[in-house]
Amino acid sequence: MTLGLLISIDPAANPESVRIALQARSEILSGERADRWLPVAVQTENDAECREIHDWISKLPGVAFVDVVHVNFESASASEEMPENSAKASVSP
Amino acid sequence: MITRREFNRLAALAAATAVAQARAQETAPAKAPAGDGIAWDKAPCRFCGTGCHVRVGVKDGRVVAIEGDQLAEVNKGLLCVKGYHVGLALYGKDRLTQPLLRRNGALEPISWDEALDIVAQKIAAAPEKFAIYGSGQWTIPEGYAANKLIKGGLSNNHIDPNARLCMSSAVTGFISVFGVDEPSGCYDDFDKCDVLIMWGNNMAEMHPVLFSRVIDRRTRGEKVTLIDLGTRRTRTTEYCDHYLEFRPSSDIAIMNGIAHLLLKNGTLDAKFVQQFCNFRQAPKDPGANPNAPLNGDPMTLEEYKAALALYTPEHVEKVSGVPAEKIQLLGDLFGRRDIRITSTWCMGFNQHSRGTNANRLCHGIHLLSGHFGKPGDSATSLTGQPSACGTAREVGTLCHFLPGGRMILNAEHRKDTENLWNLPEGRINPKIGHHTVLMWEKFCTPADKGGDISTLWVQVTNPGQSLPNLHKLFKAKAGQADKFLIVSDVYRTATTELADLVLPSAMWVEKNGIYGNSERRTQQWFRMVKPPGDARDDCWQLIAVARRLHDLGVPGMKDKDGRFLFTFKNEKGDEVPVWDWSRYYEINVDRVLFEDYRRFSRYKHKDLAPYEEYVKARGLRWPVVQQPDGTWRETKYRFAEFDDSYVKRGAGIQFYHSSTKDDKAQIWFAPYEKAAEEPDAEYPFWLCTGRVLEHWHTGTMTQRIPQLHAAMPHAYVEMHPEDARDGGFANGEFVVVKTRRGELRLPLWVNGRGHPPRGSLFIPFFDERLLCNDITLGDVDPISKEPDYKKCAATVMRAAPASAQR
Repeated sequence: MTLGLLISIDPAANPESVRIALQARSEILSGERADRWLPVAVQTENDAECREIHDWISKLPGVAFVDVVHVNFESASASEEMPENSAKASVSP
Repeated sequence: MITRREFNRLAALAAATAVAQARAQETAPAKAPAGDGIAWDKAPCRFCGTGCHVRVGVKDGRVVAIEGDQLAEVNKGLLCVKGYHVGLALYGKDRLTQPLLRRNGALEPISWDEALDIVAQKIAAAPEKFAIYGSGQWTIPEGYAANKLIKGGLSNNHIDPNARLCMSSAVTGFISVFGVDEPSGCYDDFDKCDVLIMWGNNMAEMHPVLFSRVIDRRTRGEKVTLIDLGTRRTRTTEYCDHYLEFRPSSDIAIMNGIAHLLLKNGTLDAKFVQQFCNFRQAPKDPGANPNAPLNGDPMTLEEYKAALALYTPEHVEKVSGVPAEKIQLLGDLFGRRDIRITSTWCMGFNQHSRGTNANRLCHGIHLLSGHFGKPGDSATSLTGQPSACGTAREVGTLCHFLPGGRMILNAEHRKDTENLWNLPEGRINPKIGHHTVLMWEKFCTPADKGGDISTLWVQVTNPGQSLPNLHKLFKAKAGQADKFLIVSDVYRTATTELADLVLPSAMWVEKNGIYGNSERRTQQWFRMVKPPGDARDDCWQLIAVARRLHDLGVPGMKDKDGRFLFTFKNEKGDEVPVWDWSRYYEINVDRVLFEDYRRFSRYKHKDLAPYEEYVKARGLRWPVVQQPDGTWRETKYRFAEFDDSYVKRGAGIQFYHSSTKDDKAQIWFAPYEKAAEEPDAEYPFWLCTGRVLEHWHTGTMTQRIPQLHAAMPHAYVEMHPEDARDGGFANGEFVVVKTRRGELRLPLWVNGRGHPPRGSLFIPFFDERLLCNDITLGDVDPISKEPDYKKCAATVMRAAPASAQR
C-alpha cells in the first residue's frame, strides 16, 4: 500500500524538527517542504502498518494535521463480503 | 531501472508535493510521473454531500488508484479516509451480478427480460398503487427519468427520495424564509468567516475535508473562532474555542435567546431588517390552504419582540442547560458588525421534530443581525448524500415537487411541466404523493386496512436499515403476499432481505453520472470501468421498464404526439432504442436527459449550463449564467448584487423569490417545544443516533472495504462513565438498549468516541447487524415530514449471555 500524505506543520513549530523526526521511519520518504506543508510518501506491506504510521506522524510534536491526498491499492488486500458480526464473536460474554 | 514499487512511491510523493505547493500558493505544481499505464479521469466522490473531486486511476479495466483532485475548488487535492478508499467500494466479493426473484422464500437468478416483464406487469396492474423510493445518491439523470416516468407517465406522485430522511427540514426552512430552496452562500464562507458556529454538526467526522479547510486557516496563522453547539462532545469539539452543550431540542430556545438579546441590546441590523425582511409566525389556521404551514401568518416587529420577551439568557439557561453568560456571548457575537459569522448544520437541525423551525430560526438570527450576503456571513446547511441537492431537491423527486422548484399543488407549475414534457393537459396528478414515512407505512399496511401501495421499487438506497421504527415501517412487510418489493442495488442489504425482486446495478464510475453537492455545485463524470456480470445502470432500468409499459399499452408512456416518453436520437437524427442494453451506450443518455432537464432550471433561477461545460469543469455552482461573450459564469453568493446576476442593479440584496412578493426574506418566530418523546422514569436516557467517520450511512459500501471495516468494525452504544458505574456496566460488556419500539443488544463503550453527557446514549447506524433503527422514533416534523432520529427515550439493561439467547 502506498500513500501520499500532506503534513501541515504548526506555525509555532520548527519545520526542520518535524523533518528530522520523520527520518526515524524508513517507510517514509519526505519531499520538498512548501512553506508549512511537507509532502511525504509512505509505503508499507499492509493496511495496519499504514494506519500505524499515519497515527505516529499525527502525534509528532509540531504536526498540526495530516491529510491523505493519494492512495494506490494495486497490491492491497481484496475487498470483502459484509463481515460477520465481530462484535458478537469477540465481545460476547 | 525503476521498480514498480519505487514508481508508486514517487507517484504518491509527487501528488503530495503538488498539494503542498498549491497550499503554499507556489507556482508550477509538481506533475506525477507518466508511463505507469494508469489512465486518470475526474469524478466526484461517491460518498457524502461535500462533493470532493477525486482523480480515478484505471488500469486493465479496474480502478487501482485514487487521489484528491488538485483542480477541485471543494477539496483542493485533499480527501478523507472514506474518499481515498472509494475505489474499493466497487470490489466487494458479493456484488450483485444478476437479477434475482424470490421463489419459495429464496432469491433465485432470472434473466433481465423476465425481471423487466415482472416489474412492468406489476405496475401496469395497478399504476396508482405503485411507488418509487429513490435517493440522494441517484444521479441527476436517474432521478429525472424516475420523476418523468411516474409523474409524467403514470399520473402518480408516489415518489420520494431517502433525502426526505436527511434534509427535507432544510428545504422547508429555505423555502419558508427565502421563497426558494438551497443555500445562498457556499463553501467559500468557511475561508472567510471570523466565527464558525456548528449547530449540532460534527463537521470533523461528517464533512472532514471542509473542516480541514477551516483548520488549515489556523495553520496559516489566521484567527477563526470555532463554536460547537451540541448534545454530546465529538471530535469537532476538540478543535473548538467554545463548546455549548444543550439539552436535546432546546436549540430552538437558544436561537430565540440570541434574537431576544439583539432586540434588547439594540444590536440588530435595523437598516438591513427594515429594507430586506418581514416577520412571520405559525398560522392560526394551518388548514386554511395547503401552503399555510409553509407561509405562516405575518407579524409586526413589535409582536415579534413581545413573543421573544420570555427568552432571557436566564430562561434559556433553565431550558437548555447552557449558562446564561454563554447565551450572552452568542448574542454579543451576532450583535457585532465588525466580524463575519457563518453558521452550519446538518442532521442536528434537520432530524428534529421541529426541524423546519430550527432551520427558520437560524436563518432568522443571521437576517436580524445582518450577518448575511457577504463572504463569510452566511447560514449554510450541509447535506449527507452526494446528490441530495442535485437530484432530490433540484430535480424535484420529492412527492410534492416537480422539476426545477415547481410544486405539484400549483396548477401553473403542472401546466408548465406538461408543456415541457409535451404531455396532454391534466396528465400530472394534482394531488401530492406519499412522503417517505407515509409511503412505507402504506406499503406495510394490508390493502384491506388502507395500505394503498402494493408495489414499491427502491433504487440506490437501503430503507431496510435507514428508515426509523423499522418494525412498523419496514419489517411489517414480511409475509404480506399482495405486497411486492423491488430493489435495485449493488450488494445484498437489509432491504434485499425482504425484496421479492432484486435488480443488480452499476455504481459510480461504472456508469455516466451527474451529482449536485451541498453548495449548489453540479458535477459530471464519465463511465470508466464496466460493471460486474450483468449489473446494469439504474437509469437504463427505469427506461427499459418504461418501454415495457409502453409495449403493454399503458397510455401514459406516450406524449401528446404519440411518441414514447423516453425517445433518444443520435447525431444523425435516428432514434436509438436505448432500452435495449446492448445499445444503451451508443449515445450519451446522461447528456440527453440533462439537457432535457436543464430547460426546467431557469424558472427558479437555478440555471444550469450546457452538459459540455460540466465536462470541462470540476463542477459549477448555479445559477450558471451565460455572459455576453458566450462564456458561462457560476454564482457563489445568491441574492447579493456583487455576485448574483439576477439581483437588480442598486438593490444590494434582493430576495427575488420572496413568498411575500416584495423581495424580502421572512424572519420567523417559533416557540421552544419539548421533543416528541422525552426521558421519564421508565425510559430515563436520551438516545441519539448518527454516523462515524469511517462509515458512510448504512455501511453497505464502507463495511466491505477492509481498511474501513477494520478501523470501525461494529456498532456500539456510548454511555457516560458515571451512568455506567451507576448501572454496574463494564466497558465492552453487552447491554440491551430498549425503547418503546423494541430493543437492541450491543456492546457498551464507556465514553466512546463522542463522550455523551450524563443521561444520554449514542448509537451509530452503519451496522446492518445491529440495527439501531429497530428502536428509533417514527415521529416526523409536521411541516417537512422528516423523522427525528436524534431524540427518543431509552433504558439500558444488562444483556443475557449470547448462549442464553439461542
